[in-house]
Amino acid sequence: MSNAHVSVRDALYEAPGPKTRRRTAIGTGIALAAIAFLAVGVVRQFYITGQLDSKYWSIFTKSTTWKFLGQGIAGTLEVALTAGVITFGLGFLLMLGRISDSKVVRGIATALVEFTRGVPTLLFLYFFFLVVPQFGLTLPSFWKITLPVAISACGVVAEVFRSGVKAVPKGQREAALSIGMSKSHVFLKVVFPQAIRYVIPALLSELVIVVKDTTFAYVVTFPDLMQNAKVLISNYDALLSVYLVVAVIYILINYLLNRASDFAARRRNRTLMAAQQNGNKGV
Amino acid sequence: MEKQSKPNTPEQTPVIELRHVDKHYGQLHVLKDINLSVKKGEVVVIIGPSGSGKSTLCRTINRMETINSGEILIDGTAIPQEGKELARLRAQVGMVFQSFNLFAHKTILDNVTLGPTDVLHVPKKEAREEAIKLLKRVGVDTQAAKLPAQLSGGQQQRVAIARSLAMHPKAILFDEPTSALDPEMIGEVLDVMTELAKEGMTMVVVTHEMNFARRVADRVIFMDGGAIIEENTPEEFFTHPNTQRAQDFLNSIKNH
Ligand SMILES: Nc1ncnc2c1ncn2[C@@H]1O[C@H](COP(=O)(O)OP(=O)(O)OP(=O)(O)O)[C@@H](O)[C@H]1O
Ligand SMILES: [Mg+2]
Repeated sequence: MSNAHVSVRDALYEAPGPKTRRRTAIGTGIALAAIAFLAVGVVRQFYITGQLDSKYWSIFTKSTTWKFLGQGIAGTLEVALTAGVITFGLGFLLMLGRISDSKVVRGIATALVEFTRGVPTLLFLYFFFLVVPQFGLTLPSFWKITLPVAISACGVVAEVFRSGVKAVPKGQREAALSIGMSKSHVFLKVVFPQAIRYVIPALLSELVIVVKDTTFAYVVTFPDLMQNAKVLISNYDALLSVYLVVAVIYILINYLLNRASDFAARRRNRTLMAAQQNGNKGV
Repeated sequence: MEKQSKPNTPEQTPVIELRHVDKHYGQLHVLKDINLSVKKGEVVVIIGPSGSGKSTLCRTINRMETINSGEILIDGTAIPQEGKELARLRAQVGMVFQSFNLFAHKTILDNVTLGPTDVLHVPKKEAREEAIKLLKRVGVDTQAAKLPAQLSGGQQQRVAIARSLAMHPKAILFDEPTSALDPEMIGEVLDVMTELAKEGMTMVVVTHEMNFARRVADRVIFMDGGAIIEENTPEEFFTHPNTQRAQDFLNSIKNH
């Protein structure tokens, strides 16, 4: 089945000829050489400055280090998942506002979308960290990080939802209306479930951004992966090694999210493709 | 046909009635003073050149398109403008589209049961049983668990007809139901429609299938430029139409 999977590149460009292939090979060679050269340079620099010294790396042989990092990962995931759920909820509401029949509602929703998309996460965070307490409301640090991350992403999520809704063929809505379904049921039972399928990859990409935004947790001293990494660094004076390991962990988390997104997209394509093949046979 | 010889008792209100219906798209006058009345069990076929307003006419009957003036009555009741009342009326008038429009994310069975369960509040089990009967009737019951995209066009259109029937409509509107189909699948859909007509379903059919119109229609409506130009029996219409425009139209399709 995998060879039936047509990549975007295959669909957009014609298959490369011999000349193009040679040029591509040369380009690849040069790029690889450059990367190798850089890598050697970096490692050499580390070696010269003593960053490869075992004292910086031996901390990773202790189980307490990993336990501490594990707690950080748990904190990061907790914030990311909660913020993800909230931002999908807010995004859904904003999207409903954006497609509302009422001009006023549409205007308000559009303003909120632009506002949340335009303001950096850190500003929202400062708002919950510095401004909200002045009104006598002190939130736990978990919410001081989770809410701003969620709010900062919800405008984009709303627009992603909306693009999905717009992609659903208008005949679907008409067919549902024609059997007498109410407008709200048409949306909830026919249009939105299909819209979601179109935008799963885009939604998961937005979750990656949510995960990255959780690193602002250090501002409110919530023990996420980044915050715990900072503690390790100051305890062991091991800046580079800890940052490298933490970077790899973040990459792994986001890589898994992207894999999930690919998986979802491919499953959808596969159903469609199998569908078309069977359809032609007309079983 | 015998349907026409039914006594025209006074209580027999038309299932569909349009009175002086006008519609504009901006400057374009797409429906011009349309008057049309469809009795219970009647099959009315609408034909006419492209852009003459056939689809628009069809779509105004369940208010997929609004009208600028005039009146449309279903079973003697004016079509409500919006809300629950409009939805309730739409549930009584089935619609079959050129592009099938089956719910892409639902199985064939769920396509048919959605209306009854969601709109008529029929219990799930009952709705499934009836759906299977209907699918059998249109000959696609073996496909019940599949998704629409897994079916051929002809099968999809037959499911769309079953989906309409599941609502027990007073009438069904067909807007070029076979125009998107490969030639070998047109017959199977027309057969189902012929069957429905025989069973006494009230139908308004926009189509280019002249043989179907000749065989099944009780009345042929010829439209051009947004107006009804001629209304006739199929025998009369296809052998010697009353209007020159209808004659020209019939000649133009014969030459194809
Ligand atoms: N949404 C719309 N906005 C503006 N004009 C429209 C719209 N829909 C249809 N029209 C125009 O109204 C006229 C009638 O269209 P309609 O689709 O009813 O014709 P038709 O008889 O069904 O044609 P066909 O045989 O091609 O389906 C056409 O001139 C068309 O361009
Ligand atoms: Mg049309």
